[in-house]
Amino acid sequence: MAVSKLFQWLICLTSFLAVWLSYVLGLVQTKFSEEMNEIIIALPIYLLILFACVLLGMIGHRVATFNDCELASKELKEHIDAARQDLAKKGYKFASDWKS
Amino acid sequence: MTPGVHQVTGWGLVSLSAFIAIYYSIWVIILPFVDQDQPIHTFFLPRIYAIAGPLVAGVIALTLIGAFVLYVTVSPKKVKKS
Repeated sequence: MAVSKLFQWLICLTSFLAVWLSYVLGLVQTKFSEEMNEIIIALPIYLLILFACVLLGMIGHRVATFNDCELASKELKEHIDAARQDLAKKGYKFASDWKS
Repeated sequence: MTPGVHQVTGWGLVSLSAFIAIYYSIWVIILPFVDQDQPIHTFFLPRIYAIAGPLVAGVIALTLIGAFVLYVTVSPKKVKKS
């Protein structure tokens, strides 16, 4: 099913808000206790804070496990050296080797 | 960055977010079921701030962002020198 990420989030958001608003505005009759009522009232802000915490944690995790690929860097430098030697063998003159 | 600093920064961010999530969860979800005379209530502000705080912060943040966008949109464009 080709639904874009935006619409997946919008569908989740609207379906949650539909249920929540119908409870808060008293459109459905429910028998929740006073404590449950307090929690349900605060639920959207709670979910927002939790979402922000998850995103902050993801950023932190990516920062912590960010690697700088030393092996790949070494390999690339070897390739460059090999290419330079090959080009020098064929009579190529490098600008960095020029002496005025 | 010297090696190790970004590890410390990253795991610091992870633990900060985990701490906020756990603290806020206890504050909002668990505390209504705990009796008012329990000592755990001394670690938390009254429950109204758990809802009003983020709400006020969000309103202020959105106002600042809106003011900034308005300022950038309305202010005359600088002529590029090239």
